[in-house]
Amino acid sequence: MEYQVIENINISLNYYKLALGIPSNAKLPLPGQFYTVRCGETKDPLLRRPFSMHRLIKREEAVRLEILYRVVGKGTDWLSRCKVGEKLNAIGPLGNGFIFQKDFTNVILVARGIGIAPLYGVAEAVLMRNQGARVFILMGARTKERIFYEKECRKIGRAFFYTDDGSKGFQGNGPQLLMHLMESKKLPQRFCMYACGPSHMLRDLANISEKFDLPGQVALEEHMGCGLGACLSCACPLRASYVKRDEHWEKPSLQWSEDRRQVYSLICKDGPVYDIQEVNWNDWVV
Amino acid sequence: MTGLCELSSYIGPMRLKNPVMPASGTFGYGEEYEDYVDLNRLGAVIVKTITLKPRIGSHPHRSTEVPSGLLANIGLQNVGIEGFIDEKLPYFGDIDTSLIVSIGGESIEEYVNLGKILNGHTRVDGLELNISCPNVESGGIHFGVDPEVTRNLVTCVRDITEKALIVKLTPMVTDIRIFAEICQQCGADAVSLINGLPGMAIDVKARHSKLGRNIAGGLVGPAIKPFALYLVRQVCETVDIPVFGIGGISSTEDAMEFLIAGASAVEIGTWNFINPRITMEIIDGIEAYLLENNLHNISELIGTLS
Repeated sequence: MEYQVIENINISLNYYKLALGIPSNAKLPLPGQFYTVRCGETKDPLLRRPFSMHRLIKREEAVRLEILYRVVGKGTDWLSRCKVGEKLNAIGPLGNGFIFQKDFTNVILVARGIGIAPLYGVAEAVLMRNQGARVFILMGARTKERIFYEKECRKIGRAFFYTDDGSKGFQGNGPQLLMHLMESKKLPQRFCMYACGPSHMLRDLANISEKFDLPGQVALEEHMGCGLGACLSCACPLRASYVKRDEHWEKPSLQWSEDRRQVYSLICKDGPVYDIQEVNWNDWVV
Repeated sequence: MTGLCELSSYIGPMRLKNPVMPASGTFGYGEEYEDYVDLNRLGAVIVKTITLKPRIGSHPHRSTEVPSGLLANIGLQNVGIEGFIDEKLPYFGDIDTSLIVSIGGESIEEYVNLGKILNGHTRVDGLELNISCPNVESGGIHFGVDPEVTRNLVTCVRDITEKALIVKLTPMVTDIRIFAEICQQCGADAVSLINGLPGMAIDVKARHSKLGRNIAGGLVGPAIKPFALYLVRQVCETVDIPVFGIGGISSTEDAMEFLIAGASAVEIGTWNFINPRITMEIIDGIEAYLLENNLHNISELIGTLS
């Protein structure tokens, strides 16, 4: 499908925000779902690039789909030079979005860098379902300069910031900040966490989730070939004893080993959102 | 537009509606593409390689992009022959085009067993022997780089099946024509080429392979097209059986190059990922070319390199 570029702006350093016009009768994405975008018309860059939905703003005749991205290579560099009015070839929405349960009144979002992209929509969706919900955002980066979206984070909930060097907010990483906030009783006792960021951060959050019996969901990232479940590139190991399969977590792409002790899931088809306990982090984190 | 030119042909007992098929391993089990492609319009469907037992496949990270190409090490992840028959084959009950199953084994016996099992399923019209996967032992390249092993394998599978038999060749040999000739002598109905070439890419910052612990993968995509075209022409000049051209086809023009070089049909691989409708567009494009050039049968185009 071809979608018109409504906006494509640099928001900080190499972070950009893209807005596409989606016809209101098109299938609309849920937070956590993604689109694959053809970045250019040549063979280099070659493959479509996956981008998660950031925000969806419904207007009368059209829908504004926002994508937040970081320029990291040839594809995103091309994308950053797209002009308003141009058409982009995008396929989506693909994959499965985050799940929202009505009884989650306390929600904690843990992001690092561009990981905030799919989580912002989570906050909006939670507040739309339950106006009394309390949203906490833990947002961080390497240094103060690399923190972006501060104002937006504060707008949607109670925001805490962290940096590796302590140049802004808490010195440390997201999981360390989460532990700190829990220990100093700045967070409710029970909450559900939604997280997106580097895999080692997600693994550390999974350990906290397990230790304190806190539910959580993560959005994973991996190189994708097709986004359609055909090329089998984006395999992720799950814990064989903990694979969630119900009406919320339909997983058509599971591939078990012959002895059924190992199982891989395709992030494009079964994910990119997983239960935080479901991923076999030891096998996934390099 | 369909029907104005004759695009169909026979590969042994199997009819190809037209010369455009998806390449094994790039089209899943067919159903993954149903939102984008009318499977009934394909020359045939070729599903991903099936082995006797299910295979979980390679460890992540399985693929990485290189200039105009893709390095992939999927490790023949598949549901196994039982899973294929129970869960995937019924889908083709309603699909009106030939079905080719790619098979891979760790021994000649396994290929023969797979062939025998599929003999019980009339919906399967052809077998493509994967003896060229660059990444794994089963379906692996070692069957495709030793002429005597290739000879034994093709002879043994030919003995037990009357379905169309296609052998997918690897480019990783000194002279691919020798292997194509052996396949012809042993009764194969066609050869398909080329499978991916082994390749690597290294993250210099971390000093590890971009394919993680897989280290290397198969290079596919537009980057390999000139090489594939060269080998296809060599093989077409050598054997009389049909040749399926594979390697980096991304447009009608690319497909036409292979047909003009002598391929009877083409398999589209990596480009399905970039444009899931590419097979449909190439079928339309070939037909339009024939009409424009006042050709009424695809055979009038094949092998017309001057």
